Amino acid sequence: MFLALREMRHAKARYCLIMVIMLLVSFLVLFVTGLARGLSYANISALENMPAGYFLIQDDAGHAFRRSQLGAEDFAAAKEAVGAGNAAALGVQNGTITVDGAEVKTDITFFAVDMQGLLAPKLAEGTGISNEESGRAVVDAKLEESGVKLGSTIRDQTSGMSWTVSGFVNDSSYSHVPVVYINNADWQTMKQGALTGNNGTPADVPFNVIALKSSSVQAADLAAQLDQVESITKKQAIASVPGYAAEQGSLQMMIAFLFVISAVVLAVFFYVITIQKTSQFGVLKAMGTRTSYLAWSVLCQVLVLSVISLALSLLLTYGMNMGLPDAMPFQLEGSTMAFTGGLFIAVSLLGALISVVRVTKIDALTAIGRAGA
Amino acid sequence: MSAMLEMKQVTKTYGDGDATLTVLKNLELSVRGGEFVAVLGPSGSGKSTFLSAAGALLTPTSGEICIDGESLQGKSPQELTGLRLRRIGFMFQSAQLLPYLKVEEQLLYVAKQAKLGGREASGRAAMLLQRLGLWERRGHYPEQLSGGEKQRVAIARAWMNKPAILLADEPTASLDLDRGREVVRMIAEEVHSEGKAAVMVTHDERMLEWCDRVLHLENGVLVGR
Ligand SMILES: Nc1ncnc2c1ncn2[C@@H]1O[C@H](COP(=O)(O)OP(=O)(O)O)[C@@H](O)[C@H]1O
Ligand SMILES: [Mg+2]
Repeated sequence: MFLALREMRHAKARYCLIMVIMLLVSFLVLFVTGLARGLSYANISALENMPAGYFLIQDDAGHAFRRSQLGAEDFAAAKEAVGAGNAAALGVQNGTITVDGAEVKTDITFFAVDMQGLLAPKLAEGTGISNEESGRAVVDAKLEESGVKLGSTIRDQTSGMSWTVSGFVNDSSYSHVPVVYINNADWQTMKQGALTGNNGTPADVPFNVIALKSSSVQAADLAAQLDQVESITKKQAIASVPGYAAEQGSLQMMIAFLFVISAVVLAVFFYVITIQKTSQFGVLKAMGTRTSYLAWSVLCQVLVLSVISLALSLLLTYGMNMGLPDAMPFQLEGSTMAFTGGLFIAVSLLGALISVVRVTKIDALTAIGRAGA
Repeated sequence: MSAMLEMKQVTKTYGDGDATLTVLKNLELSVRGGEFVAVLGPSGSGKSTFLSAAGALLTPTSGEICIDGESLQGKSPQELTGLRLRRIGFMFQSAQLLPYLKVEEQLLYVAKQAKLGGREASGRAAMLLQRLGLWERRGHYPEQLSGGEKQRVAIARAWMNKPAILLADEPTASLDLDRGREVVRMIAEEVHSEGKAAVMVTHDERMLEWCDRVLHLENGVLVGR
C-alpha cells in the first residue's frame, strides 16, 4: 500500500485518466445490464411473475408454449401427483384486439387460466372474474395506453368474441405484448369455434401447458409418467419465448465485450507502466524488497482504481435510473448490481495479472552496472 | 573486529562449453568494520560482477562469501532478499530514488520493509538526513533535487537499516568532480561514525583520497599497489 498509494498521489493525472475510462466502461456495463434486465422483464414479466417453477409441455414442442398441446387426462394426472392447488392448466393464444371507442388495434396474448387456481391474475385494480361467467377479462395495465379502461369492451379480431374489462394487473407481458386473462369457459368457446371449423366435432378442448409448483423431482417423475410430455424449468420456458433469446443474446454479447474491453484497457495500461518501471523494480528488489510486495502493490493499485470507478459509476447509474423516463425499460436489482460489480473487479484484477507476471520476472541483478537516469 | 565482508576463493565464470569467460579468479577480500575500501578497474574488468557477488545478487561459480559472519552459501532467494534488506546497503550509479517518494519517505520505505518501528524509523531518518545536510529537503521529491543531493539521499537510504556493509556501484559516475568527491567524503564519514564497512567500485582515480584502502581488480583478482 505504501508505494501503491504514494505513486498514485504523485501521478494524479495519469491515474485519474485511467480511472475516468474505467468509470465510463463500468457505467456502460451497469447500464446495459440494467437495460437487458429491464427488457427481459418487459418481455416476459407474465411468466416471470408466475408462482410456478416448472412446466409440463409436449416433448416435441421444443419448449415453446404455443406449439404444445396437452389434454384433460394429463391435467388430471398432474393434479393427482402434486395436489390440485399446485398444478394449473394454461392456454396461450396470440390475438389482435380492437377497443370499442378507440381507433387502434393492439396485439395481445390470451392467457386462459383457472380463475381460482395457481395462475389466477393478481388484481391491481377492478374486480376479478369467475370461472363460469363469460364475456369478462382481466388485462395488463399497459393496455391503458391503448385506451382501455375499466368497463371497456375489447374484441378479438380472429374469433369475433368480445370481453368487458373488469380488472387490471400490473407487469404482465408475454413476448413484449400485454396479456389478457380469460377464464376457461371463454377459452372453450374460442377454441371450439376453431375446432368446429376443422373437423366439425366439438371436442374436449386442449390447452398448451401445465404449470407446476413442485420440486424438480416431482416434475420429472410426472413427465416420465405421461406420454410425450417433458418438464422444463421456468428459465427454459422463458428462454423459449419467441424473440427472447435473440434479444437477450445481443445484449449479453455487448456486456461480455465491455468486460473484455475493461480488462484489456487496464491490462495494457498497467503493462506499459510496469515496463517503464522495470529498472525501478530491479533496484527495489536489489535493496531487498520482496517480489510478493511489489506484485501486491500492482494489484493494490488496480483494486483501488476499479473500486473507486465502480463506486462512482454505481452512483451515476443510480442517478440516471431516477431520471430515466418510465417508457425506458431499466431494471437493476441489488443482487445483479453486486454480481456485475464483483465480476468487474475480478476481470480488472485478471487484466493486471500479466503485469504481475512481468514484475516477478524482473531480475534484481539488473540494478548493478546500469547507467541511465 | 570481525570482518563485515569476507570473500574466499571466489570465482565467477560466464558462459559454458568452449566460450567461457572467467571474470573473477579465486578472488580474496576481507573488509573490517570501520573500513572504506575502493575497488578500481577499467571498464570490463569485472567490477560489477564483483559487486553483484558481494551483494548477494549473483551466485559465484565457486568460493565462499560471508556478510557480517553469515555465509551466503545454500541460502534460498527469499533468505538472500531478506539479507540484502537488513545487512547490505546499496548505492547505484545514478541515485535510483523512487520518483514518487519524498526524501524522508525514501528512508521510511526501506525501514518499513525491514519492519522497523515507526518512531525508531523516523528518528533514525531524521538523524541521517541531518548528518547529510538534507533535513531542509526532507519534504521534496527527487525531481526537485540536484544530482549531488540525490546521491546523498541514496547514502542515507543505504545506511537506514543499519547494514553491516555499504556497497556502492560507481556512485560518482553521474556527478561532476566536486560533487563526486563530496559524496565519497560523506560515505567515508558515515562508515566511520557507524562503525560499519563500505566497498566502492569506481574507475575514477580522483575519488580515492577518503578511502582507507585502494584495491585494483586485475585479471580476476584484487591487488593492492
Ligand atoms: N551475464 C553475463 N554473461 C556473459 N558475460 C558477462 C555477463 N556479465 C558481464 N559479462 C562480461 O564480464 C566482463 C566483466 O563485466 P563487468 O563485471 O560488467 O565489468 P565492469 O563492471 O568492470 O565494466 C565483461 O567482459 C562482460 O562482457
Ligand atoms: Mg560495470
